[in-house]
Amino acid sequence: MDHTTVQPIYKKPFKKKMYPYFFIMPFAALVLVFFVLPAIATIAMSFTDLNASMKPKFVGLQNFTRVFSDYNLPAILWNTAIFSILSLSVSLLFALIISIATQYFLKGKITAVIYRVLWLIPSIIPAVVYVTFWKYIFDPTEGGLINRILLQLGVESDPVSWFSKAAMGIVILATVVSTISGGMILLSAAINSIPEDLYKAARVDGASEKSVIMKIILPTLKWPLMYITISELIGFVSSYFFIMLLTNGGPMRDTTTLSLYAYQQAFNLKYYGYGAAVSLIVVIISFILTLLFLRLFDFDQMIKPSRIED
Amino acid sequence: MSTSTLKKLLVHTYMTLFTLPIIAMIIWYFLAATMNFTTGQFSIDNFSFFTEPVEYAGVKLPLIWPIVLNTLVYSFLIVLIEVCISVPTAYAFSRLDFKGRVSAMKFLFLMRSFPGITLIIATFFILVQMNLVNTYTGVLLVAVTGSLPGRVYIMKGFFDEVPWDIEWAAMVDGCTRYRAFKKVLVPFVLPGIGAISVFSFLGAYGEWFLFKLLIFNDDMLTLAGYLSKLVTKEDQIMNYGLITAIGLFYTLPIILFYIFTQKIFMKVNLGGAKQV
Repeated sequence: MDHTTVQPIYKKPFKKKMYPYFFIMPFAALVLVFFVLPAIATIAMSFTDLNASMKPKFVGLQNFTRVFSDYNLPAILWNTAIFSILSLSVSLLFALIISIATQYFLKGKITAVIYRVLWLIPSIIPAVVYVTFWKYIFDPTEGGLINRILLQLGVESDPVSWFSKAAMGIVILATVVSTISGGMILLSAAINSIPEDLYKAARVDGASEKSVIMKIILPTLKWPLMYITISELIGFVSSYFFIMLLTNGGPMRDTTTLSLYAYQQAFNLKYYGYGAAVSLIVVIISFILTLLFLRLFDFDQMIKPSRIED
Repeated sequence: MSTSTLKKLLVHTYMTLFTLPIIAMIIWYFLAATMNFTTGQFSIDNFSFFTEPVEYAGVKLPLIWPIVLNTLVYSFLIVLIEVCISVPTAYAFSRLDFKGRVSAMKFLFLMRSFPGITLIIATFFILVQMNLVNTYTGVLLVAVTGSLPGRVYIMKGFFDEVPWDIEWAAMVDGCTRYRAFKKVLVPFVLPGIGAISVFSFLGAYGEWFLFKLLIFNDDMLTLAGYLSKLVTKEDQIMNYGLITAIGLFYTLPIILFYIFTQKIFMKVNLGGAKQV
């Protein structure tokens, strides 16, 4: 059975070797210029004093010593931690509750579809439009929804300025309501894949709803939950869109997270070098989270080998 | 009342409670845009932005129609570019053999989960060096690069689903590789192309951040950037009527679009759930 001696080994002509690269060339070029290059530039910029004059000068580790001696830093780190951890846990909890309710208790019912469709709306509508609603609910004047209700009930005599009292709470609430749907989709799909027979068998054996959820549904959700946890954590640590639209980091620095702080230093105060140094810390945190993420999920298995030989 | 109806009732009660804010949001939008809250009467005064330029809290913005045109052109360009780049790339990753394929794919996964937004300061600097600040080209390039990994990943999933035998059969019958791609593969992955088009369109339609950062001329904004100027102007919004009216005008097409395409959102495997 030694074919190789009979048939000469097929050698791909150069043209055929090259053409797959044409398929990925536009993508590779874009990635190189707008992903790899910025990644290198972030590192390079963090060692310079680049500012509005756009003439970078090497300053060594000065930016980093400034970051760690910044008196705002403890508060900002605390905000970042509170924001990511609270947003993550609340949105996971609700995604879990909603997907179990719609895919197990109300499985196949039209009401389940309606709930899911409604829950997707906050993530579909543009962020700019979405935040207006939260601004209205917590409006500090009498016109705001909560203030109006409190005034009519006679609980408070003066309108409460929610944005200065509970800014972080509002930001977390708005973020959570719009991120729940992402987790909900994945968890719903996972619950949907559980065969009906398992529930039937459990029911025949007299299992309670609680044990069906604890023993059948939750173990199935282990991987999707892990996936959502890390991917949402990466998002919460690095993105600041809702914060920017809702409070822009204020009042004072109450809702400024580390990534927003980097943005403000770079684009509001034009300290590009210092901003890059701060964002490098965010990049490192997200990179560690990303690597952890790739480690947990076996991607080698998902990369199927190509089978057509030509 | 049996226990099962009681249970159903309980589930419905909780779900309605959770969903209430969203329903309130939808109702409020329509009310705020079309009602004068001080007199409590129906009015369409808020929609005067259709005919005259908006002036609000010291911000003067141009008339809305050129902005609408910008939005449509920008969104469709993004869809076109993302589809044209991601389909061949996904095809190559799914079907072709080349050196560095595995490491390129690993890099793709890394990029998909890595938040590109953290690199925005350096990206801005690079755009300044390339003279692309305050141009659509700059915004397009940055926006496309940010969303491509996700699109390629979804498309690759669709290509992987198509059985090899079909493509083989076509090639045995005398198709060239390219014809097999066009006649056999593309019809199979059409739902995938539809899905990434929908995602691209929604992403582009809602893009405000890059416009805020990279575009300085008000008449080059898209609707999202236009609204973000009004929303972020001050801590509190003075005139909800105007903003909700513009917001409604801006969101209604999306909601209608969403009603017809919502199956895609639940169906498309957003990746990672494959382990399930």
